[in-house]
Amino acid sequence: MHELSIASGLVEKLLQFAQENPDKKLVEVRLMVGELSHIEPEQLRFCYESVTVDTPIGGSTLTIENVPASVICPHCGYNGRPKYWENVVDLAPIVTLRCPECGKAADAGQGHECSIKSVKFLRKEVA
Amino acid sequence: MITLEAQPDEIYDIELEHSLLEANAKLAKENRALLDQHGITAIDFMGAIGSGKTTLITKLVEKLKNKIGVAVFNGDATISNDADAIAKHNVPIVQIATINGCHLDANLVGKGLKQIDLENLKLIFIENIGNLICPAEFPLGSKARVVVVSVTEGPWMVRKHPHMFLGSQVVVINKIDLAEAMDVSVDQLIKDVHTLKPDIKVIPTSCKKGTGLDDVAATLLAV
Repeated sequence: MHELSIASGLVEKLLQFAQENPDKKLVEVRLMVGELSHIEPEQLRFCYESVTVDTPIGGSTLTIENVPASVICPHCGYNGRPKYWENVVDLAPIVTLRCPECGKAADAGQGHECSIKSVKFLRKEVA
Repeated sequence: MITLEAQPDEIYDIELEHSLLEANAKLAKENRALLDQHGITAIDFMGAIGSGKTTLITKLVEKLKNKIGVAVFNGDATISNDADAIAKHNVPIVQIATINGCHLDANLVGKGLKQIDLENLKLIFIENIGNLICPAEFPLGSKARVVVVSVTEGPWMVRKHPHMFLGSQVVVINKIDLAEAMDVSVDQLIKDVHTLKPDIKVIPTSCKKGTGLDDVAATLLAV
């Protein structure tokens, strides 16, 4: 379960933020997770909650925003939404790297992201 | 204990652009730079448990060890049986036990690179953990990634694990000598891979019979 590795990296960064900002209490962290990444939001949220218990950022909310995939075709110059391999399984459609315009091999543009977008915090009184 | 209730007008928002995959990506680049400096090509093999990664690597080592310097990094959660099998060929071998980890990462591979003499090496085969999801997110610094699937995994492997193929350059479809018995169409598997990624090289093999292995060796030497 690589979500735990990702959550650990995230928590490390946020704890560093908390330590550097003793006057702020973290309430929410927003992540950008790409459609091409292999990260399961529910598992990531579960890992986050498990890892943050009893830390200065415990109780904060993890919000995950999806970044849609895009492809860039070096053959015809297409730049936009990918072609999906639809109806192959009952679940979500599968992104392909086949250019929707010319059918040749395209490169992935956006969609691999896994980054912290922003944090929301509460300014607290420091004694 | 004082509990602070966040009120809307008391909440502050700050942008904090920070990639969570960056730390690994940076180490992967460092590994790659070190390998390039020594003129070494590293190849990362990914695939399910039992797809034949170890056997394929062993066969490739057999073929290449007298021509060029080859080393093998073997990732396994616990046991070292695979590494022991390859070690018989007398090439440098690094066993990386991830214990509970589901993938190799660039840090572990970087540590491995410090353990062996890089002079006179031309190829390093890295066998990732038998897992078709997690390793995809963690580049290691290799020049090419190879997915090994086998017909014994059934007809839907490509459709079930599309992400792994999107990030790879070579696909090996192994155990084709069993295709008929398994009632799996190798042609359909190849078609599935090309539906996902038209330019990816697909090589059907039978490690048992030696089919396709020269093609794999030549392909990996040319990446």
